[in-house]
Formats: sequence, C-alpha cells, structure tokens
Amino acid sequence: MAAATKLLKKSLVGISQIQQYRNIAKSAISASNGHRNELFNQERRRQQDAVGRLEKIEVRYLGLPEDVTLVMNNNISTPFNCAQHLSEGHCKRSALALIDGSVPWDMHRPLQESCTLQLLNFNVSDPHLVNKAFWRTCSFMLGAALQRVFKQEANLQLHSFPGPNIKSGSFVHDIVLGVQNWEPTKAEMRAISAEMVKLAAQDLCIERLEVDLDLATEMFKDLRYKSEQIPSIAQQHQNRVTLYRLGDHIDISRGPMVASTRFLGKCTVLAAHKLANEGASDAFYRVQGVALPAGFALNHFAYGLLEQRAQKLNPARLPNEPFEEQRQMQLS
Amino acid sequence: MNINVRILTKSVAQQYAFKRIVTFSTKPTQQAAAAAVPQQQEVTGPTVRKPIVPAHYRFVYPEFLPDPKVEWRNAVREKLERLDMIDRRRQIELPEFYVGSILAVTSSDPHAAGKTSRFVGICIHRERCGLRARFILRNVIDHQGIEVVYELYDPTIQKVEVLRLEKRLDDSLFYLRDALPEFSTFDENMEAEPLEEGAPVPINDIKVVLRPRPWLERWERQNLLGVANIEQYIKDKHRKSAEKVQKPWEKYDLMKQYRATIPEEEQKEIFAEVHTELHTLELQRKRNKRKRTFVKPKHLA
Amino acid sequence: MNQADVSKLMSQLRIAVRPTKRNLKNPDGPEGRLLKLRKTVTALVKHERIELYYNRADEARGYAELLISNAIRHGDRHKATMELADYWLLEKQLVHKLFKVLVPRYENSNVSYTRMFKAPRDYPGMYYRKSVLELRGNPYPVLTPDNSQNRNLLHNVLLDEARKEFRREKLANLANKLAAETENATASTTATPAQAPVTETQTEQSKQAEEAPKA
Repeated sequence: MAAATKLLKKSLVGISQIQQYRNIAKSAISASNGHRNELFNQERRRQQDAVGRLEKIEVRYLGLPEDVTLVMNNNISTPFNCAQHLSEGHCKRSALALIDGSVPWDMHRPLQESCTLQLLNFNVSDPHLVNKAFWRTCSFMLGAALQRVFKQEANLQLHSFPGPNIKSGSFVHDIVLGVQNWEPTKAEMRAISAEMVKLAAQDLCIERLEVDLDLATEMFKDLRYKSEQIPSIAQQHQNRVTLYRLGDHIDISRGPMVASTRFLGKCTVLAAHKLANEGASDAFYRVQGVALPAGFALNHFAYGLLEQRAQKLNPARLPNEPFEEQRQMQLS
Repeated sequence: MNINVRILTKSVAQQYAFKRIVTFSTKPTQQAAAAAVPQQQEVTGPTVRKPIVPAHYRFVYPEFLPDPKVEWRNAVREKLERLDMIDRRRQIELPEFYVGSILAVTSSDPHAAGKTSRFVGICIHRERCGLRARFILRNVIDHQGIEVVYELYDPTIQKVEVLRLEKRLDDSLFYLRDALPEFSTFDENMEAEPLEEGAPVPINDIKVVLRPRPWLERWERQNLLGVANIEQYIKDKHRKSAEKVQKPWEKYDLMKQYRATIPEEEQKEIFAEVHTELHTLELQRKRNKRKRTFVKPKHLA
Repeated sequence: MNQADVSKLMSQLRIAVRPTKRNLKNPDGPEGRLLKLRKTVTALVKHERIELYYNRADEARGYAELLISNAIRHGDRHKATMELADYWLLEKQLVHKLFKVLVPRYENSNVSYTRMFKAPRDYPGMYYRKSVLELRGNPYPVLTPDNSQNRNLLHNVLLDEARKEFRREKLANLANKLAAETENATASTTATPAQAPVTETQTEQSKQAEEAPKA
C-alpha cells in the first residue's frame, strides 16, 4: 500500500515537472503568439465597431424544412445566426454556407448583402465544396496540432499548406524543423494524431478575419516564412490577407473552412517526408495525414487502405519551389 | 484414406477428450469412462451428420427446455444442468410419462422397513424445469388421500416404473382432490400394462365425479374437461363470477404465448445437443426390457 | 422455475423482445390493450409504414412479426392461424394481403419482417417518444440515408482514388514485366515471331468456339 502511494507520488511529481518544463519552453513562443492574438482581437473589434449604423438585409434561406426569408443585420449576422433561427440541428450540422448558389461562405463570416443562403453538411448530394473546405481545415488543424506538440528545442516553423486536393489522398502541412535527419516513429505520429483528436474534442470555433497588408506583416514579423509569403498573397487579393484562428493558433489561408473543429471525425497523421535541406541546420518536412468527417463510419480495413495511400509522398507543390500560385491561377 | 483420417481424428479426440470435473462422484470411475465414450463421437466434427430430433421430444422431455422467463435464463447454467440430467439418466431409468399416467416410485427412506418405500399413484401435476423438475403422485390408501411430491432427478429415487402410460383431458388433475375417492384409488400391487411399441399414447377421456361443495378450488372457473358434474353443484352467482374471470382474448395474445414458450429454433438446438445421448439410453432400455421378458417364463418354470 | 409451454410451437423472432409487456394504459384492461394494438397492426399491414408513439409501436411490432411468422409457418389452410388473422386484421381484405402478399414476400427472409426507427418529436408538444414502424420491402423511399451510393461523399472519393491508383500501379507493373520479357526473348532466341501466328490462330479458334453456342 505504502509502496503504491510512493510510486503514485513519484509519478505525480514527474508529471508536474514535465509540465513546468513545458511551460517554460512555451513561454517564449507564446509571447509572440500572444502579441499576434492581441492584434487579431483588436482588429476584429475595430472592424465590428466600424460597422456603424445597422442596416437590414434579406436573406432567403433555401432548404429543409422550408424556404424562408430572414431579415438579418448587414455585416454582423453570419450564416450561423441564420441557422440559429432555424433549429439546433441546423446549427450543429451545417459545416459551410453557400451564398447565391455558388459562393462558399464560412459559417462565422458576416454576410455583406441580401442574398440566398444554403447550409451545407457532409451528406448533401454534391458535397464537393464542403469536402474541400474540410480538407483545408484538416491542414490548418494539423498546423495547430504540430505547434502544440513540438517543443521549443525542435525549432518548428510552419511554412504553408498547399491548396486542398482530396484526390491526392492526404492533407498536407509543410514545416521547417531544426533537424536534418528526423525519422518520425510511429509513436510520434500517433502523438500528433492524438493532438488532432484533442483539438476536435475541444470543439473550437474557427474564426475568420480579413486584415490589410501592414497589419499582417506586423502580426507575422517573427515568422520568417510567413512574412516572406505575405506580400505576394496580398498582391493577389487587393492588399488584403485572410487570416484564420483556431484557439490561439493563427494562420494565413484563403478559406473557406468548416465552422468548427468538431467536424473532424476519424483522423490519422501518418508520415513526415523530408523534402529538402534549408540552410545549415534546418530542413523542410511534409507532414501528411488522412481524415474523415465526424459521423462517417468506415470499416477499419477500408480505412487502412486509405492510411496506406496517405503514407506516400503527396505530389502537391513543394514549399521550396518558387511561389507559382499566380501562374496556376492564370492556367485555371 | 478417408477411414484413416477418421480413425486419426478419433484417436486425437480421445487424447484431448474434455474431462468434466466433478466435486463429488456418485458413480464408479469405470462407468464414467464408458459413459464418456459416446460423447466423443460428437467431437469428431463436421463429418458426422446432425441427428434429426423427433418432434415429440418436447412432450417426452419437457424438463430439458429452460424456463422461458428471460430474467432467469443463463446459457451456461442450463447447459451444465442438461449434462447433469443426462448423467443421472445414465444411472436410473426415468421413463416417459404424462399427467394422468400411473407411476410406481421406489425411493430410499431411512424410516421405512428395508430402507426403501414404494408408492403407487396417478401423476396429477408436473412442474419446474431442469434439475428441479418434479411431479406429484396421488393415491388413496386406507380411505385417506395421499400425495407425494417427487423430484425427478432426486438421487434418493431408486426406480420409476410406469404402470399405465396414458394422458387425461386436462393439463393438471388437482381436481382429483375434490373428486370421489374411487377416481384416485389405485391398487398398490398393480401390474404394469405395457403399450405396443410405436403406438401413440392413449388419452383417457374418463370424467371424474366431484364431491359436493365446499371445494379446495373454484373448479367452475377453470374450464375443466375431465369433470362430469360441475353443473350439479354451482348456482347462478357462481356461473356469473366464473364468466367474469374468463379471458377469451388470451388465445389471440401472441406475445404472451411467445413469452411462455421456447422458440422452435432454440428447442432444436437444445435437443440436438442431448438427442444422441437420450436416444442411446432409449435403445438400451428397450434391449433390457426384451431381455427381462425373455427371462421371466424360465423363472416360473 | 416454471416449465415452458410445449403445447404451442413458435418461430424465433428476429427482433429484441422485452421480458415483460407494456400495459399501454387503457380503462379496459388487458383486453382493451389487445383491441388497441389490433388497430395498429391493421394499420401497419395496410399502410406498410406508420408513425406513432414509441411504446405502442414497440408492442405492436411483436404481434405483427408473430402474425406474419405464423402465417408463413402454417399457411392459409390452418384454421387457428386463420382465426388469428381474422382477429388481428380488422379489415378483411388485409387477410388476403397477409397470405397472398406478405407471406411470399417474407418466406425466404432471414431478417425481421418489420423495421422500427426513432422519430423526432414535435417541440413543444406531447413528450412521448415517437417512432416509425414499417414492413420491410415496402414501396416507399428508404428512411435511412445510404452513404455508400453517393460517389461524391468524402470517403467514397478517397476510396475511388485509392482504387484507381492501385489499378494504375498494377498496370504499370504488368507493362514493366512484359517489357522485360520481350527484351529477354529478343535477346535469347529468334523463335518468337514463329510462335506469334500460332497463338493468333488459337485465339481465332476459341472465338469461333465461343460464337457457336450463341448461334
């Protein structure tokens, strides 16, 4: 009995020590992260205040249980608010909104004019747009999970994630690590997967904010790769940069994304392929995984096949190649 | 080739035969070993065709079916009980009998002269299942109605003889307690009346005559078929109250019937498990009987 | 420890049966309960899909299942079964439906004859749980979404792509193997061109043989 309590005490002490170390290590990151979050909050508040006089818009909702017209507030009401008028089920199930039958719209992004509204979930007859948003969200969440998992010593820097391509079989996040010969073990991959699952369980709302170039550069001035990317991104979008926030993790993405991390169901992070060396001690890695939306049941054999496929290197554009998004857009 | 394989599997099966562990034994070990042999034929597996269970088994061996009450079901307990029941049946002949049959039961009795007592009577009721199965015998001895409750698998029972195998019109004959004594009086030295082999069990449609009231139960409410003179003793008020308690809708209450029975599929499974054993025991019994009939005249001469 | 009733023989139900019945409160006692359930069973056989309170549906389900299983077991020449059908089906043309439509439909089925779903209840409204009870093989559209058919759903997209890639790899392997074999053959012998026409004639013969039975 006494021995058991001793053991327990020891382990407890061990855990608290680990937590202390972690806190110390994280404090440096969290300083810049906290600054970024503060700026994010300020900008959001500023944008909300800038709305000024309330204007009403008419939102025509199309879908079950019946088509209705809702009178909402311009630049304040979001599709989620519209869903709140319909039912709890609509709020819970809708992952993405569709404006005017063609424009995918985040659930938590304010509406800007009178429009028709459809609420999409993963089971609609043509879930192409939702799937794409889900895949993008998975990449984004993977970045957040990696940020949480790696210690300070690992020198993790998130680079970017290429546009979602479900047919490639895996979602991707490119990172730079301070190690040139990292061979990820199964346990390490499982730890990252577990972090993803934890994120999903926390049911974090994914917030969207558009900021201008100056603020974006100010926010990401500590992050080398992000600040390199920002000018070219802003150039394409009229000097605006779209940011997404999940908990305290902020990243640049074109969007749209699904409403919450809750929609992530089965998820496995499977591989981290080394792409190229970067500088003297760093290297590019491509972290890949596969996921299914919550509520999709797939037998473990079929899922195993998907996992096998997701382990192969994803052929998406490499991060160390020149930034060619402009040319791609011209082509398409 | 095929035979070789069979022999091989048999020998392997004998090596690894499942030995049941019993905490106390009521039989010599040699017999137990002999008894274990027929079980191994089942073990030989898919080559042996499954025996076809006769349809009448559920009437002959109703105690092998478990209690239909779901809360009391326990597959392991039921199976163990069935094994014990068959073990007991290997020791003692427990013949087929029904409510209305006349039985003679010899059982150990520490207070009787010769330490055994034999009781002859008519079976008026059968109840309970598994190892707890029991029946009630009734007879009138010295103008005194006597009923004895026997547990079928009681180890103190030494012999069960069926003197007259027949059925009556009702499922239980408790009304004999209120009938005139001659309807439940049977001679203690009655000879067994053997039935022809393969003949159906006859139904005795005798109608008993009741004593005047008071009765032990309100027989007029029970829709009895084997009573002749109920109308003689009941008044209008009895008739009315009897009508009130009737439940004519129960024959349509399918779920009630379902909850009171064991489904056919389950019965098949249970009897397929015990069929070979019971069948061999039946054959053995028949052989013994033939031997006895052959021996008897010699003794007389 | 009661003895099982052996006078009746019933088929096992393929649904979960509660150990006890629900009384379905009504002033007429057990008889009234059956009269009530009779209406539900009749409606189920008539309409093949009904929406009603959960408790009543669950009770009626067992009776409907047993009625059908008895009809299958004994057929329409059995007097007792006919009596049962007469009692349980209030509209007499449904007796014909039971024996002529439902019995052939379920004769070879090895699943339950009915299905039951939980249905949403109105809010605010009566607080009883609701359900949908239906006969299998009814003509209405299915109630449960079928995720396996829509090829656009995420898991189906992933699986389809995985299948395609697997085929591509296999074909590439095969092509590689063939290329390697032909290289070997050309390197070792010159007999291959002589063999080729033989195989062609063989295939022609086999083609003719295939066509013959068709004609």
